[in-house]
Amino acid sequence: MKTKKYDVLNTETGRLDPTIYSDEEIYKEEMEKIFGRAWLLIGHESLIEKPGDFFHTYMGEQPVILSRDKTGAINAMLNICRHRGARVVRTDDGSCKSFVCPYHAWTYGLDGKLEWVPGEEELYDGTIDRAEMGLKKARVATYAGLIFATWDHDAPSLEDYLGDARWYLDLEFNRSAKGTKAFGPHKWVIPINWKTAVDNCSDWYHVPYSHASAANALTRIMGAPRMTSDVLWKKKGRAAFVNGHQVCFFRLPDDSFDGNPYGMDSTEENHAEAIERLGELRGDGVMLGTHSLFPNTVLGFRIVIPRGPNETEFWHFSHTNAADTPEKQREVALEHAAQNGAGGHFESDDIDNWNQVSQSGKYAGAREIGQYINMGIGNTTTDDVFPGQLSDRFVSEQNHRFFYSRWQEFMNADSWDDIPLDPMKANFEGTASMDG
Amino acid sequence: MTVTTKGALGELFDESLYSTINRFYIAEAWLLDERKLRAWLDLFTEEMVYYMPRRKNVNRKELAREIPERGTDLPFFEDNRKLMEVRIQRLESGTAWAEEPPSRTRHLFGNLVIEKVEDDGTVHAKTAFICHRSHGETTTALYSGYRVDILHPVDGSWKISDRTVVLDANVILDKNIAIFF
Ligand code: FES
Ligand SMILES: [Fe+2]
Repeated sequence: MKTKKYDVLNTETGRLDPTIYSDEEIYKEEMEKIFGRAWLLIGHESLIEKPGDFFHTYMGEQPVILSRDKTGAINAMLNICRHRGARVVRTDDGSCKSFVCPYHAWTYGLDGKLEWVPGEEELYDGTIDRAEMGLKKARVATYAGLIFATWDHDAPSLEDYLGDARWYLDLEFNRSAKGTKAFGPHKWVIPINWKTAVDNCSDWYHVPYSHASAANALTRIMGAPRMTSDVLWKKKGRAAFVNGHQVCFFRLPDDSFDGNPYGMDSTEENHAEAIERLGELRGDGVMLGTHSLFPNTVLGFRIVIPRGPNETEFWHFSHTNAADTPEKQREVALEHAAQNGAGGHFESDDIDNWNQVSQSGKYAGAREIGQYINMGIGNTTTDDVFPGQLSDRFVSEQNHRFFYSRWQEFMNADSWDDIPLDPMKANFEGTASMDG
Repeated sequence: MTVTTKGALGELFDESLYSTINRFYIAEAWLLDERKLRAWLDLFTEEMVYYMPRRKNVNRKELAREIPERGTDLPFFEDNRKLMEVRIQRLESGTAWAEEPPSRTRHLFGNLVIEKVEDDGTVHAKTAFICHRSHGETTTALYSGYRVDILHPVDGSWKISDRTVVLDANVILDKNIAIFF
């Protein structure tokens, strides 16, 4: 490693430099060193089911067309015309045979190849090299229906990038051979630095107070499980960390919130399938809680899209088990949305906190006093069964520290050669795989 | 017999019905802006639905799918009375941080059109609105949109059983939709 520019976290004291939230230069560097390198979640196969379908998405700040071409292959392409840079696609989604740029009508195939240029002979004298002038393409890979892309051709495979985090992700995304279905997204713009929403995925410390109003009302009116500190702080689950990805998981049946005999499944049949696909422990004994994938996927299937140091576009998809009935799927999707969508009674209460955490980097006094993510320092362990770095109790700030350490690894790296990956050691019992 | 008005153009126009519905909406705006949320919720029936779909960015020829059909998509809100009760109790608790301290809102409901009156007096009405939200020290958001309601005459006033709120926005330019329309 040639440069070691960033040293923003003291891992012994947990002191974090808040400059990382507000500094323009750091933000610009993140766009290149993190969003230019990492595998980014950009969509779900259920959004582009048929050849010709497309969905407009983002990789970091950059607009991207996600398409399924005639061969059924998935493409991710920069939505910037190779001629003068106009955006070729201007709708949220749709279905078409080719993409025609609205400026001068350069026409691209569903796979991004430049197929037609007006006046190719008459005006350009045949000098356009169409094979060279297709839309800029990203590397694409999928995991259990989730679509990821990276700009970096030196990035490891998606499988290695997810590593043993997949042992946990399978708990939600790989329970059924039918996969999952995505609904949405809600899209809204929030005044935060993107990282605050990501590190929050492991922050169960805030739940009893930040979310007391929603949790208490849900308990009173809907009979929902209590989310008070005496309940949460005793959970048997743990926080786990792999390759930048954060996971909080629960143990079943002890940590069950609602006493559902089928754990994360709605029916006995689905539960049996999950056990077959994931093994007894994962199918029956562990429940995925909040989680995030490095860098910007948060809590299930949500994406934080950076738009500036203190501006982020939030996308909330609800994803459901496709083995459930359509009615059940919608019920689940609506419940997710009511809690964590743009009007979600949990999510709404997070935003001002993240905004103010983000803004604090602007103030000399805040930079002087720093921020502290020191809970549970020294309490990280490893385990033969549960992969990753594990906190010794459910509520901890170990994943916050690991997240900012990972951030630093990316920011201090000259290339993927400098970015370490944890070796894969987990025992993936059952039949579920990367392909679903 | 169902009396169908031609709305703004005024055929079969019933002045007194129009005026009572209009006054109802004016009173509703004041309830919202004076933060009398429980009284506001009482304008709805027990079987109410408060629905706010997404609004997609689509080509003109595909406008039919701009607003996804109810029951197929992920709306911002599709709340029954119980869920609305959760929202109101939450806000009343004093720790609903999205609205603590509470926003200063100003709702202007107008352009009332009565689309249909059923035999039992059920009214189908739509209104347009502008709503300004000011929160904390300097945060502001401007919402515009329209609402489609089904209202029933109850005890000399009206109760809403079904409200659809459609915002004139694709990406919502507010940190949370923690206010009502
Ligand atoms: S900018 Fe796209 S055709 Fe000219
Ligand atoms: Fe939260």
